Amino acid sequence: MTALPLTAAAAKEAATEESDCLTVTGIHKSFGGIQALTDCSFVVKKGSITALIGPNGSGKTTLFNCITGFYEPDRGQVYVRDVSTIGRRPSDIVHLGVMRTFQVTRIFRRMTVLENMIVPIRQLTLRSLFTAAIKGDERVRAETLLEFFGLKGLRDQQAGSLSFGQQKLLELAAALMAEPEIVLLDEPAGGLNPVMIEKLAGHVRELNGRGVTFLIIEHNMGFVMNLCDPVIVMHRGTVIAQGSPGAVREDPIVLDAYLGD
Amino acid sequence: MGARRIVPFVALALFLILPIFVREGFYLDLLLFTFMYAAMSVGWDIMGGYAGYVSLGTAGFFGIGSYAAGLLVVHYGIPVFVSAPFIGLFAALIGAGLGWVSLRSRGTSFVIVTLTFTYVVQLLALNLRGITGGSSGLYLPLLALPAEFVILPFYYSMFALLVVAILVSLAIRRSKFGLGLIAIREEEGKADGSGVNTSLYKILAFAISVSFAGVAGALHAQYLNYMDPDLAFELIITLSVIIMSLVGGRGTVWGPVLGAFIIQPLSVYLIYLAPSGIAGQVHLVALGVVLVLVVMFLPDGIIPTFETWRAGRSKPGRASLADEQVPGVAS
Repeated sequence: MTALPLTAAAAKEAATEESDCLTVTGIHKSFGGIQALTDCSFVVKKGSITALIGPNGSGKTTLFNCITGFYEPDRGQVYVRDVSTIGRRPSDIVHLGVMRTFQVTRIFRRMTVLENMIVPIRQLTLRSLFTAAIKGDERVRAETLLEFFGLKGLRDQQAGSLSFGQQKLLELAAALMAEPEIVLLDEPAGGLNPVMIEKLAGHVRELNGRGVTFLIIEHNMGFVMNLCDPVIVMHRGTVIAQGSPGAVREDPIVLDAYLGD
Repeated sequence: MGARRIVPFVALALFLILPIFVREGFYLDLLLFTFMYAAMSVGWDIMGGYAGYVSLGTAGFFGIGSYAAGLLVVHYGIPVFVSAPFIGLFAALIGAGLGWVSLRSRGTSFVIVTLTFTYVVQLLALNLRGITGGSSGLYLPLLALPAEFVILPFYYSMFALLVVAILVSLAIRRSKFGLGLIAIREEEGKADGSGVNTSLYKILAFAISVSFAGVAGALHAQYLNYMDPDLAFELIITLSVIIMSLVGGRGTVWGPVLGAFIIQPLSVYLIYLAPSGIAGQVHLVALGVVLVLVVMFLPDGIIPTFETWRAGRSKPGRASLADEQVPGVAS
């Protein structure tokens, strides 16, 4: 197992050599006097389901925000394939093929389920702006995805009226409408019942089989260990370990981070 | 074709032939101003209703349109009916510039910037005396038409402006762009994270939005054959346009039109009926009262309230915004 994170240089080199779709190198982020991230580096391989775990406050969501353009890191780089995302706005990063969900589910609550599906845009052109909000092939894709997630019957419902679990699924389904290469899920199993968690894991596995790469923040260790490989562990704003689920589970540094706090 | 869809075509035909039967200047003047306010309100709603960004700059762009038209007529002899579309474009460019400065951030700063902008351009009009005539204003040459026909070009121009504004609003509402604007209104951060370039969308929406005020200002200046900084940049223009949109239903295509057709005649009749000493103020009080009543009893405006009521009666649980928002999406 790789107990230590990659260095910035090594991570960048790895990204260019292998088929990696996301490379995080030496990210630092502070808020006033609080250092939220310190020299975070790792690589997400194409086609993987990578987990990002760590105790509360370890900087996972802050890192997601840095990757997706919601925060500007103080230092460091994020590459999607070989394109740097630093300085780009969130929508530009979506256009590079990165979509995300949020820890607290964010959907357009007053829109219908189907309208939520057609908001995401992967490619922005002036012409595409002024075409019909939904076209034939897009409608088919939206309905196929809704059917996949068991939401097709709710397509005309106001999104805010869905159950918590359905809203989580809708957020993921809508993220897939932009045909992302990598999807970042922030605590997708949070607040879901065991049946829904199993269903969600099945969806992720199947989508991954179709070529979608996932980077998942999650506290539910059963979900992580059964679904993800590799697992990246963060503690106090930095990556302390990464490797297979089994290796990470046995890692004394990881155990210390979880049990020592 | 349902009755709802026929109404706009009937109204179009009616307003086109109306001047043949109605020759009284009072009514044509009333309609002309209603068209003007409706067009500006529809334009305002593209930004204020769809994207949820309240602009207090309508009067500023109205005044810019007035002065641009006046200066082009006075100095270069270009008739307003020729220059008006270009003035709309000019207003849109200024709007894009102002939007570029003020719309890259979120929140209320935009409201303040647009209000300040109105006062800044008003001060410019007041102080650049050599160009604008300062507080004395500018007099435009009269149209060479018989007195009984002089209102007709303005009636039809304002009507055309309203039709164009409605068509543009409809096109935006049915487009990806329109859905993106509504996404911005609902949750701007989420919209950005969904690939919606929120700055671009807002700037584009604002530019389109203010172009109608620019054209309206141009036509208005020629209609009155006069302009001065108080008349052209009157804040009541902005407030009226906003109240019309709120009354009819913000974020809908037809709400601002309905609002204008309620508020403008009401204001005119109040001025007409009130004693001359207070006539100028009575309609302002009425506007205030209407605003309070709308906020208290119809916070969503007439059309969305009606749509919600209708949807609730026919299809329980269905999304309240679906009918109005994206035709063809919610079927």
